[in-house]
Amino acid sequence: MSPLGYFLESNMPSNVEVADKASRKRAIAVAIAAIVFLMIQVVTRPVFNPSPETAHLSKVIMWAVNAAALLFLLMTGGGLAQRKEIRELVHDEVSRSNSKSAVVFGYWIAMAVAMAVYVIAGQTPMTAREAVYLIVTPSIGLALLAFSWLEYRAHSDA
Amino acid sequence: MPEQLRNFLRDERARRNLTQADLAELVGVSRKTINTVENGVFIPSTVLALKLARALGTTVEQLFQLADDHHRSGRKES
Repeated sequence: MSPLGYFLESNMPSNVEVADKASRKRAIAVAIAAIVFLMIQVVTRPVFNPSPETAHLSKVIMWAVNAAALLFLLMTGGGLAQRKEIRELVHDEVSRSNSKSAVVFGYWIAMAVAMAVYVIAGQTPMTAREAVYLIVTPSIGLALLAFSWLEYRAHSDA
Repeated sequence: MPEQLRNFLRDERARRNLTQADLAELVGVSRKTINTVENGVFIPSTVLALKLARALGTTVEQLFQLADDHHRSGRKES
């Protein structure tokens, strides 16, 4: 190996180091994405409108696209722009376990909200779109926050 | 359940003067995985336990023990 090649190789971060940084960044990015998603809902309330038929279609579509993207992130761990080896290290056994735990947490949030919606719908009629929105929004947001927290904890030393 | 499993991964790694990153590199996992296993936050799969044992040149039983076995053997945990 040439001296330049040796220099470059010895100074290049290993896959483990790259994955470690990427994983820490992902934990923070996921939390930010979840908080932004939830805050946007508070501000825009896309499906709640005095007349549901007139709800701004772009807001409704944006919510669906956003929710689908966040679900995809939770399911795959993201990092599609990374090399395969790095992606596998970032979303390894621990992250997959954390992802499953977060999904279970989100499932129970969805069940609790669905029960509440079931009760509330008796007094306050709501559209199917509003009910779906009420169930899906907090479950995705809180599942992502749970994933972020579990990942952050995994990086912390005891 | 985590409280039923004791592990000596940190001891064995330190004995070989390896950092978490070194061991992660040897095993082909992230440093996060080594960290969570050492801290008892995560119980590794059988495959990962075998890989860890192989990387450290020891047996799975030397790295992981049930709490009952731990009391019987009297081994000190890190």
